[in-house]
Amino acid sequence: MKKQSYIIALLAGVFAFASCQEGDWDVPEGIPYGNNSLQAGATVTIAELQSTYASVISSDNYKQITEDLWLRCVVNGNDFGDNLYKQLSVQDETGGIIIGINGSDQGAFMPVGQKLLISLKDLYIGGYGTQAQIGGLYNGGLGRMEISDWKKHVRLIMDGTPDAVAYGTMKVDTIDFDPSKSMAQQAGRVVRLSGVTISRDGTPVVAPDDGSVSLISNCVNRTLSGGNAGNKCVLRTSTYAAFKGVAIPTTPVVLYGIATIYRGTWQILARTESDLTWTK
Amino acid sequence: MKHLLLVFAFVAAPKIHAQSYGTAGVDSLSTVEEELQADDSNFTFTESQLGENDDITADVIRINSATNVYTSQFGWTWSGIWFKYRALDNAYNDIYMNGVQVNNPENGRFQYSTVGGMNDALRNKDDISPFEANNFSFSGMGGSSNYNLRAGRMPVGHKVTLSGANRNYTLRAMYSFGTGLNKDGWAFFGTVGYRWSNMRTAAVKGTFYNSLAYFLAAQKVINDKHSLSISTWGSPTERATAGASTDEANWLANDYQYNPYWGYQNGKKRASRVVTTFEPSVLATWDFNINDDMKLTTSAFVKVAKYKSTKLNYSGTNPHPDYWKRFPSYNYDVWGRDGDYTYDNVAYWTAYDNWQDESYRQINFDELYFANTQLNKIGADAIYWIEARHNNHLMSNLSSTYEWNIKRSTKLSAGIQLLSNRGSHYRTLEDLLGGQYFHNTNTYLVGDYQETSTEAMYDVNHGYQKLIEGDRYGYDYDLWNQDIRLWTCFSMDRGIVHSFVTGKLGGRRMWREGFMRNGLFQDNSYGKSSKAHFLDGGLKAGSTVNLGKGHAITAGLGYEFRAPGASVAFMCPEMNNDYALNLKNERVLSTELGYAINNKWFRLNLTGYYYRTMDGNEWQQYYNDDINSFSYNSLTGVRKEHYGVELGLKVKLTSSLDLLALGTYSEAKYTDDTQVNWMSSTTGKINQEICHNKGMRQSGTPLAAASLGLNYRIERWYLNLTGNYYDRIYLSYSTNMRYENNLKNAGRYHAGEYDVPDQAKGNGGFMLDASIGRQFYILHNPLSVNLQLCNLTNRRNITTGGYEQSRSNYSVTETENTGTEVTTKPRTYNFEKNAKRFYAQGLNFMLNVNYKF
Repeated sequence: MKKQSYIIALLAGVFAFASCQEGDWDVPEGIPYGNNSLQAGATVTIAELQSTYASVISSDNYKQITEDLWLRCVVNGNDFGDNLYKQLSVQDETGGIIIGINGSDQGAFMPVGQKLLISLKDLYIGGYGTQAQIGGLYNGGLGRMEISDWKKHVRLIMDGTPDAVAYGTMKVDTIDFDPSKSMAQQAGRVVRLSGVTISRDGTPVVAPDDGSVSLISNCVNRTLSGGNAGNKCVLRTSTYAAFKGVAIPTTPVVLYGIATIYRGTWQILARTESDLTWTK
Repeated sequence: MKHLLLVFAFVAAPKIHAQSYGTAGVDSLSTVEEELQADDSNFTFTESQLGENDDITADVIRINSATNVYTSQFGWTWSGIWFKYRALDNAYNDIYMNGVQVNNPENGRFQYSTVGGMNDALRNKDDISPFEANNFSFSGMGGSSNYNLRAGRMPVGHKVTLSGANRNYTLRAMYSFGTGLNKDGWAFFGTVGYRWSNMRTAAVKGTFYNSLAYFLAAQKVINDKHSLSISTWGSPTERATAGASTDEANWLANDYQYNPYWGYQNGKKRASRVVTTFEPSVLATWDFNINDDMKLTTSAFVKVAKYKSTKLNYSGTNPHPDYWKRFPSYNYDVWGRDGDYTYDNVAYWTAYDNWQDESYRQINFDELYFANTQLNKIGADAIYWIEARHNNHLMSNLSSTYEWNIKRSTKLSAGIQLLSNRGSHYRTLEDLLGGQYFHNTNTYLVGDYQETSTEAMYDVNHGYQKLIEGDRYGYDYDLWNQDIRLWTCFSMDRGIVHSFVTGKLGGRRMWREGFMRNGLFQDNSYGKSSKAHFLDGGLKAGSTVNLGKGHAITAGLGYEFRAPGASVAFMCPEMNNDYALNLKNERVLSTELGYAINNKWFRLNLTGYYYRTMDGNEWQQYYNDDINSFSYNSLTGVRKEHYGVELGLKVKLTSSLDLLALGTYSEAKYTDDTQVNWMSSTTGKINQEICHNKGMRQSGTPLAAASLGLNYRIERWYLNLTGNYYDRIYLSYSTNMRYENNLKNAGRYHAGEYDVPDQAKGNGGFMLDASIGRQFYILHNPLSVNLQLCNLTNRRNITTGGYEQSRSNYSVTETENTGTEVTTKPRTYNFEKNAKRFYAQGLNFMLNVNYKF
């Protein structure tokens, strides 16, 4: 009997040990994205930045930012809808600019409305088809910066934290598109086009990939006309966009998107399907 | 009592009908050696290798036919390298328990892991090589085993075993107790075991092992004619699995055992792939001794199997640390090829530097959580989550076996097997990683169809369904198999010739029942499919000619039809009810010729075999980035051949020293290219292809192996030293890389000739193993201690398995997409050179102590 008792005790010990295995998982704390140690120094607005580097941008050249400059901005467009490819669009109260980042799913980490503090020193700024961009060097030209570099230069500022105070009332806002405005005045901003007609060549969805229309870098450019579109404006949609199959109405519509410019032509990049609801 | 013991002996003793052709003087094992081998046979295979990694084909075959030096020793000797008997899939190895077959009928395999940790209960078994007569089956092409689980046959007394190892578990404790058959005809036996390691102690980083096992059995010998027995067992287990990696990943991580499947969450290690299994089983047996020459054994078996395997999934960018775009060679062509490749030095070294950081080369759970919680703020679906794939089974079998000893050396056996199996397959949301929900939609279809469209829904019956943790999503279906099988075996001696002939005839019925109405197959996915019927059977015969003075020649010939299992019978069971096209019975021709010498000091077996399989069926599923979708691939009309020679030699050098030599050189390959039908998960259309797989070889096993060992036994000591050499190890080939159209896309079609890539290989090499054992007596009871040391020379670059990646060396560009023509661009990352491999563990040990009382 004593023998059995020992055995039972042994087994009980074994099973007690067995119950101490992998447990529930705690929700991670803090912000595991970006560089939380960044503290803003001398800040610059987007308008000031574009003004400082205006000649570099307009000549499709690039330059490394050597000054210790800091940018406070808010995300107004990202790759969430798979239309902006490895690009982040940010704005402040003075303007907007595109940031090239060699990483996907940035929209999940930095959704629209996310406030950012960016250390600009050592990053590159320049123009691509006269569109202002911040990025890194790629094959001797201005390209996307590596994601690891980006994470060293950005800090995510959460609403309600003391660091958010410096952003004041900065938020994503929408402006009416005006084809006569300059790149610096309108590019990188969320714009609204009203009463515009979208060309319906080929299969009448925004980005058919069935060969019915020609593609430019896997994107479909559909001419916008009427309303406030002016005469050099396209809706540019990737064939990888989650909303590439949205049907194009035959009647004039309202649409939204990030305004970008390429060699004198305005390219409107819808962010998600909700930018193409057509009516409001 | 005398009668009772006779009955018991008749009922329960393992029998092998094959004639033995000489004395077995060299077969006597020391107690410690016996203990070691018996223990290891249930250690090395069940926990280290068999069926415990989802990324390898878990198909090692164990046979241990006592009449052949080679077959009795190779499993023990070559366990460290996942050696497969005759390079055969485990589905060709039939496993029985008290006469009832327990292989999973869906895929034909038996998972040894389901009986892990109950070693003492599994010591009594008959192992039958492919051409041996037996009393429980039509022997399998890869052999058959019949475990005797009657309580009366179990070891008597108490036994405690404690083990320590630096393998996939660290500690093991087992206890067993058997009463033996008492004077009232009752026998009881029970064993319980526990195996454990955690993330700090397991040999491979990021894994753990947590397994309890129990086995309980009772037997009542009612009288000299009837005996009833019942046994039940289970092994609830939770374990983390490790993944194979490319050599580039291993180099960057400076670890041949680099495992990409784990990461840190809040500073604590977390495994993403955790397998949870529990397969409680009950087996009841009625032994009816009709008379001294006839008996009937009837068994009923029920198993309720639960299997769950988790995996990190995503709808955005692949978050796995070994995603190909994260490697330095993604940015710089390190292969020196001519062509339009990238040479970005900065990105190369950035990636290299990133890989030096452990947090980069493992899963960053904190980031995944953060992304999901950010998405919660805008009411979006989670994009990262842990899924659980469930493969549950409810299996019930009934078998009855009749044995008749017609004369002293003329025997007839016959039996019937009835089987019903319901396999339930579904996927659940295990952990949303901080996310609130996501929708039950096929995200690969979003774009072609709107997210809320019925086409994109996984289950139209539930609409645009919002899912939370625990919900089923993606697929949910049952596969039903119902089998009936009759078999018989007749054996006889005539002079110097022992012969047998065995045959089987069976029928299989199967169908699918879907519980989700898939948006792409709304009329063909919910509810029951039509029923498919297959009639199969086979004949096999063999002879042993005893030439005298211990010399014998053996020969065997067989031909059989094997019905396909449900795992290969459907085109895409996750989506619809359609059967694979051109589904047929597999046909198998098997032959064997052997020569044996057996005398008091020398024993040799030399065997040659040739197998040919025709009309085989295979099925694969993988992500196909040419179409940006999953593809479901059915290969039919598969033709293969397996042939080779096997040598087993055991020499008794002195009364205490044996020499054991084993060797095999074999071939196992596809003999022709194969017809493929594949379906895209986003179009639902079936495409036809030719896979240029002629000459591709069976993977994950050395096709050449040799060993030389010495066993020294003196008094209560046992010592063994064995050197093993392995070579010709191939990795699982990628079908996708060898599809005719893909070869064209890859620029591997010139002047009517296809330039088919060579199959990736693994490294062979030399491995040295040793073991030492000693038996002591404490309080007049035996205490055995043994220490196994494997891979003494610490060779860590020997490949144990792996696979080629099913991705292309080019990307499909749509710049000039005309809708019919595909244009491609070469990729800098070279998938052909980046197969994923598993490597043998370096020096490892197991210390085993057991005490019987």
